[in-house]
Amino acid sequence: MSDPRFSRREFLGLIGSATFVAGCSKDRGEIVPFTKRPEGAKPGVADFYASTFQEGLCAYGVLVKTREGRPIHVQGNDRHPAFKSKTSPAAIADIMGLYDPDRLKHPLMDGHPADWSAVESKLVSSLKDQSVLLVTGALLSPARRALIMDLKKVLPGLRHVSWEPALGDGQTAALQDCYGSARRPRLRLERAKVIVALEADLLSGGRTEEIGGFASNRTERSMNRLYAFEGSVSLTGANADVRVAWRPSRAAALGFALARELHQAGVPWPSGVDSSSLSDFSLEGLDSGLLRALVGDLKKSRNQAVVVAGPSLPPQAHAAAFLLNAMLGAEGHTVDASSSVAEPLSGSDAVAQALREAQEGKFGAAIFWQVNPAYSFPDAKLWKAAVAAIPLKVRIGLHEDETAQDCELVLPEHHWLESWNDFETAEDLLSLQQPAVGSLYETKQAEDILLDILRGLGGGAPIDYRHYLMARWQREVQPSGSLVPFESFWSAALHDGVCQRKAEAKPPRRLNGSAVNRWAQVAAQSERPQWELLLSPSANLFDGRYANNGWLQELPDPVTKLSWGNAVSMSPTDASRLSLEDGQVVRLSASGREVELPVVVQPGQAPGVLSAALGYGRRTGSIAQGVGANLFPLWNAAPVAVKDAGRREVLAFMQRHHTLEGRDVVRSLAWPKGRLAPRKDLASLYEPRKFPKHKWVMAVDLSLCVGCQACVLACQSENNIPTVGKERVLKGREMHWMRVDRYYEGSPENPRILMQPMLCQQCDDAPCENVCPVAATNHSDEGLNEMAYNRCVGTRYCQNNCPYKVRRFNFFEYTAQTPASARLAFNPEVTVRPRGVMEKCTFCVQRIQEAKQAAKVRGRPLQDGDIEPACAAACPARAIVFGDLKDSTSRVSKLTRSERGYRVLEELGVKPSVTYLADLRNPPQADAS
Amino acid sequence: MLPELLRPEPLVEGSISAAVLDERVLAFPERRPPRAWFVAFAAAASCMSLGFALIGYTIVTGIGVWGNNRPVAWAFDIINFVFWIGIGHAGTLISAILFLFRARWRNGLARFAEAMTIFAVMTAGLFPLIHLGRPWLAYWLFPYPNQRGLWPNFRSPLMWDVFAVSTYFSVSILFWYLGLLPDLASLRDRTTSRARRILYTILSLGWRGSAGHWRHYEKAYLLLAGLATGLVLSVHSVVSFDFAVSVVPGWHMTIFPPYFVVGAIFSGFAMVVLVLAVVRRVMALEDLITLRHLELGNKVILGCSCLMGYSYLCEAFTAWYSMNPYIHHTFLQYISGTYGWAGWLAIACNTLVPQIFWLRRARRSLPVMAIVGVAALAGMWFERFTIIVISLYHDFLPSSWLVYKPTFVDYGILLGSFGFFFTCVLLFSRVLPVIATSEVKGSLHD
Repeated sequence: MSDPRFSRREFLGLIGSATFVAGCSKDRGEIVPFTKRPEGAKPGVADFYASTFQEGLCAYGVLVKTREGRPIHVQGNDRHPAFKSKTSPAAIADIMGLYDPDRLKHPLMDGHPADWSAVESKLVSSLKDQSVLLVTGALLSPARRALIMDLKKVLPGLRHVSWEPALGDGQTAALQDCYGSARRPRLRLERAKVIVALEADLLSGGRTEEIGGFASNRTERSMNRLYAFEGSVSLTGANADVRVAWRPSRAAALGFALARELHQAGVPWPSGVDSSSLSDFSLEGLDSGLLRALVGDLKKSRNQAVVVAGPSLPPQAHAAAFLLNAMLGAEGHTVDASSSVAEPLSGSDAVAQALREAQEGKFGAAIFWQVNPAYSFPDAKLWKAAVAAIPLKVRIGLHEDETAQDCELVLPEHHWLESWNDFETAEDLLSLQQPAVGSLYETKQAEDILLDILRGLGGGAPIDYRHYLMARWQREVQPSGSLVPFESFWSAALHDGVCQRKAEAKPPRRLNGSAVNRWAQVAAQSERPQWELLLSPSANLFDGRYANNGWLQELPDPVTKLSWGNAVSMSPTDASRLSLEDGQVVRLSASGREVELPVVVQPGQAPGVLSAALGYGRRTGSIAQGVGANLFPLWNAAPVAVKDAGRREVLAFMQRHHTLEGRDVVRSLAWPKGRLAPRKDLASLYEPRKFPKHKWVMAVDLSLCVGCQACVLACQSENNIPTVGKERVLKGREMHWMRVDRYYEGSPENPRILMQPMLCQQCDDAPCENVCPVAATNHSDEGLNEMAYNRCVGTRYCQNNCPYKVRRFNFFEYTAQTPASARLAFNPEVTVRPRGVMEKCTFCVQRIQEAKQAAKVRGRPLQDGDIEPACAAACPARAIVFGDLKDSTSRVSKLTRSERGYRVLEELGVKPSVTYLADLRNPPQADAS
Repeated sequence: MLPELLRPEPLVEGSISAAVLDERVLAFPERRPPRAWFVAFAAAASCMSLGFALIGYTIVTGIGVWGNNRPVAWAFDIINFVFWIGIGHAGTLISAILFLFRARWRNGLARFAEAMTIFAVMTAGLFPLIHLGRPWLAYWLFPYPNQRGLWPNFRSPLMWDVFAVSTYFSVSILFWYLGLLPDLASLRDRTTSRARRILYTILSLGWRGSAGHWRHYEKAYLLLAGLATGLVLSVHSVVSFDFAVSVVPGWHMTIFPPYFVVGAIFSGFAMVVLVLAVVRRVMALEDLITLRHLELGNKVILGCSCLMGYSYLCEAFTAWYSMNPYIHHTFLQYISGTYGWAGWLAIACNTLVPQIFWLRRARRSLPVMAIVGVAALAGMWFERFTIIVISLYHDFLPSSWLVYKPTFVDYGILLGSFGFFFTCVLLFSRVLPVIATSEVKGSLHD
C-alpha cells in the first residue's frame, strides 16, 4: 500500500532534489538567466541606442552598444550630420565613468548616508526665499536652460553662473566685441585649402569634426596646407605642413602683421579697419620666404582659407584672426556662423565675482553642479572664504569629490548613460540623450532634483525630467501643424538621436572694424614676458572630470607619450640653459601661488614657453588622487617664475625612444611629386600561403592619421583590455593592443613629427607562430594570426620574435584586479585573458564572425564595409581601412595597391598584412612667391 | 724510458696503494665531514631556500615580480638557463670525449665533473619551467597523447630544447650511474652500517666484479661515451637555436651553435677547476687530484678562451659586413649603449683574463686559477646577458625600446640557483665517492 501522500518514486525524487539543493546551497552570486524573457530582449544580440555625449561646448552624437542590458561600447552616431559615425575619445572612454566604483551610490548629508526624501526636504526648506548661487558647466541644452528659467520663477534670488574652467575667455570676449554676439562659428575645414592655426589645436582628440574635415583634404587628389604657429607642440603642429615655433604672446602681432602684408598684396581692408593702427607689428623671427609663401597662399585661396586662434590666446589674437578671415572672405565658407548658437558662458571673472559676493554673505545657499570649483577655481583662498560664508552648500555630482567635501548636502546624479536630455549645437540641429541602462545606484538625474526643488517651492512641474523634455519638444521642436502624432515624432527622434530642422537664414555677421582697431592697439602694446605659461585642457582628462578613469589616465599624451601624470613642457634650449632634464621637478610660481611638477624637454617647443595640461592633481578618487599636479592655481596668472625644486619624479612614458635612427619605418613624401622607391619582391623558399575564401588586410593612411588615439581607446573598450597603472607602465607592461608611435625627425628646435598607428600586422609568415612550442598561435585560412589563449603557457618567445612588439603579456592577474563594477563593461564576445597568457590584436575577429553570420542569415555574400574593427570605426580621419584582399574591388584592395603603399619591416620577409600609405606633406615650394 | 724532462708528470703523486686509495676515498662518506663542509652546506642551503621561496612567490603572484618587460621578454630566467646548461658541459666532455681519446688524466676528475654536470642540468632545467606564465601547464610541452588531439609545435626551437635537454640529462645520469657501479659495490662491501649496506646493495645492482661484469661494463661505458659525445655538441647547439632561429637582430646569427658550445665548455671547465681546487684541499685529495689535473683543465680553458675571442671578432665582422642596420645597431649596443659595460665585461673576462694561462706558473697557481675561474663564470653569465637583454632591448622599432632592470626576485633566484647547485654538490660529496676509485686504481702504477 502506498502512502497517500508520498509514493516511493516521489520520495526518492524528493530525496534526490533535496541532496541537489543541499549541494547548491552556497550562494555563488551567479547571474540567473531570464526564466521569462522580456519581450524584445535577445540574449547574445547587441542593442544600440542613439544618445548624446557632452563635453564642454561640444555635444557628440553617439550610439551606445548594450549587451544584455549593459552598455559596453560607445561609437559615433552615423545619423549625426557633423560627426558622421565618429565620436570623441572621451565619449568612448566614459563608459568607464558609468561603472566607476568610486561613484556616489546614495545621497550624503553632513558626510553621512541619508535617504533622498530627507535630503530633498532639507534642501527645499533651506532654499526657500533665499538668494541662491547655482554654478554649472556649459549647459548646451535648451531643456536644461528652460528648467533653470522655471526655477528662477519660484526662486527669484537664484544667480546662475555657467562656467567651463578649462576653456579660455579670450574667444568669447573677442566675439562679443567684434561681432556683438558670442555665437561660436563652425569651422568647415573640409572646405579649406589653406589653414593657419595660431596656437590652435584643431586636431586634438575631441575635435572630431575638424579632424574629419581636415583629413578629407589630405589625399593625392587634393591637399590642403596647414601652417601652425605655436609655442607648445600640439597634434596640429605635428600634422602641419609648416610648423613655426612661435610664442603665444606674439600671436596677435603675427596675425595683424599678416593682415598688413595681405593688404599690401592687394587685399582690401574690411570697412572700418584703420590701416594706421596696424603699422607697428614686426615679423621678426619669421623666415621671409615662408612669409611670402604664406601670404601668397592666403591671397590665392581667399575664401578657401581660414585663420584660427586658439582658446588659450587673449582677445586681441582672436580679433586678428577675425580680421584675416574677414579679409579673405572666409565668413560663410570656411567659417560658418549661419546656424551657430550662443552658449551663455560666464568667464572665470564672473565666478570670482560671485564668490566674492558669497564671501560677503550674499548667498544663503549654493548649488554646484557639474563643475568642481574646489579643485578648479584658481584662488583656493577665495573659495575657502566663500564656502565658509555660505550656510548651505549643495553638490550635485557623480563623485564625492573636492567640492563635495566642502558641501553639507551631496546629491549623486545619474551618469549620462542613465540620463535624458537634449542638446542644441546649432539652430538647425538638436540631439537627444537617452538612458542606455537603468540607474545602477540610488542616484537621480540632476534635472530631476531641480524639478523636485521646483515642485517643493510651489512651482508646477511634470512628474519627471523625461516628461518635461517631451513636453518641451512637443511644444517647441515638433513643427507646428505637423500631421505626425507626437509619439511617432518623439520615437523617431529618439531612434535617430538627432533632429534636424529648418532654421531661419541669418544675415552674415559683420566685423566691427573699430573693435578690431582697438584690439590692434592692445596687441601693439602687449609685452613679451620672460616665461609664458600655456595651460590647456588635458588631451585625455579634459578639465579633470575624467581623472578617475583608468583608461584615460593610462592613455599617453598624444605628443609627449606621457601617461599617468602631467608635466611642464620646456624647449630644449631653455632646459639646457637651466640644466634641467626629463623628470626634474620645477617650481612654477605666479601671483603668489606655486605648483611643483616635473619637466619634459619637448623638441619643437618655443623657447620661453612653458606648457602643461590641466586636469591632473586631483585630491579625491581612488584612481585620480595624487596623479600629476593641479595647474589651475596658475590659471591666467602672470608673470611666471621657474625654479629648480631640486628633486626628481619618475615619468611614465609609453615611448622612450623618440627618433627613427634612420630606419625606414615611417615614410613621408612631399606632395605632389614624391614617390616611394619601387618595391623589391623578396625571394622565398616557401610557397605563399593560400587563402581560399577571404584574406583580411588593413590599410593605414599615415597622411590622414593625426595621432589622436581614439583607435587605442576603442580597441581597449572592444577587447576588454585592462589598465595596468603607472608602476607597470614604467616597466613597459602596458596592455594596449594598439598604440600610436610618435617620432621626431630633424633638429630638436623644430623637428618634423611623425605618427604611426601600430598594431598586430597579422603577418602571413608570422615569426611569432613558428616559435610557440605549444602551437598556441596559428594562422587562420583567412589570414589572421590567431591566439588560443587557453593553450598558451606563456613562454613569451612569440613576443621576443615579434619585430613590431605588438604582443602583450599578462604579467599579473589583471582581470581579478578589475573592480567588479568595471567588469560590467566587458564585451562578452571577447575572452578575458588570465595571468601568464600572451594576447594581441585579432583584427576584431568577433566583429568579422558577427558580420559573416549576419550576411549568412540575410542570404547574401559579405560586402566591402560590412566589417569594421573597433579602431577603424573610431578613427575620425578614416585613416584605417579594413577589408578583404580577395575582393579586388574592395577599398582596402585598392589602397593596398596604392603607389604610396609600403609595409613596415617588409625586408624581414614576414609578409605583414597591414599596408601603410606614406604620409603626404605639402610644404610650400621654395619658388612660391 | 723517456728523459725526465719529457716524461709526463704522474697522475697520482707519491705512492699510493689501492687499499690506501679505498681508505681515502671510500671512507669519506662514512666519516663525520669536516667543519668546513657544514659551513658550506649551511650557506648553500640557505641560498637555495631563498631561491625556492622566491620561485614560490613568482608562481603564486606572476612573472610580473621579475624585471622582464616588453621588449625584454626574456631576461634572468633564460640567462640562467643557458648559463647552467653551459656549466653542465664540462662533465660529459671530460668523461665521454676524453675517455674516447684515451686521455687518462680524466680519471681523477671524471666522477666529480659528471656529478656537477647532472646538478647543473637540474639547475638549468628549473628555469624553463618557472619562466612560463603558467608553469602548472608545463607538461603541455611534451608530446603526450591526449583526448584533445593536441600536439606540440615541432617547429619551435623551445620544443627542440625540451628534447635536447631531457636527452642530455638522461644520458648523463645513466653514464654517471654506470661508472659508479664498481664503487658502489666497494662501498657496500666496506660499510658496517646495516642501513647503508641495504642502500648500497640496491644501488650497486649486484655488482660482484667478475670478469663478465667488467666486460659488459667496459662495453656499455664505451657505448654511452660515444652517445654522450654527440650530445656534448648537440645540446648547446640546440640551445643556441632558440636565438639563431629567431628574427631578432643579434640573435639571428649562423655562428651561434659552435660559439655556444665553446662558451659552454669554457664555463664548464672554469666551474670544474674552481670547485676541484677547493674540494681537493678540503677533502685532502691533493695527491689524487693533482696540480697536473688542474693545469690540464686550465689549458682547455685557455684554448676555449681563444676560440671565444675568435667568435667575438666574427660577430663584429658579421655585423659590419652584413650592412644590416639592425644588426649593426645591436652590435654597437653590446659595447657602447646602456649596457656597454656588460659587453666589455664579458669580452674582458672571457678573452683577456684567461690569456694569463699561457704562463705555466699561472696555470699551476691556485689563487690565479680561482681568479680566472670566477672571472670566466662571471664573464659567461654576462655574455648571455649581453646576448639576451641587449639584443632585445633595442630591436626593430625604436618606439618599443626600453631599458631592463632586474628586481630583487631576479637576483634572489640567481643566488638560489647557485645555492641549489652547491647543495647538491655538497650532498654528493657526503654520500658517494668523489673519485672513481676503480678507474684511478688502473693508473696507480703508471
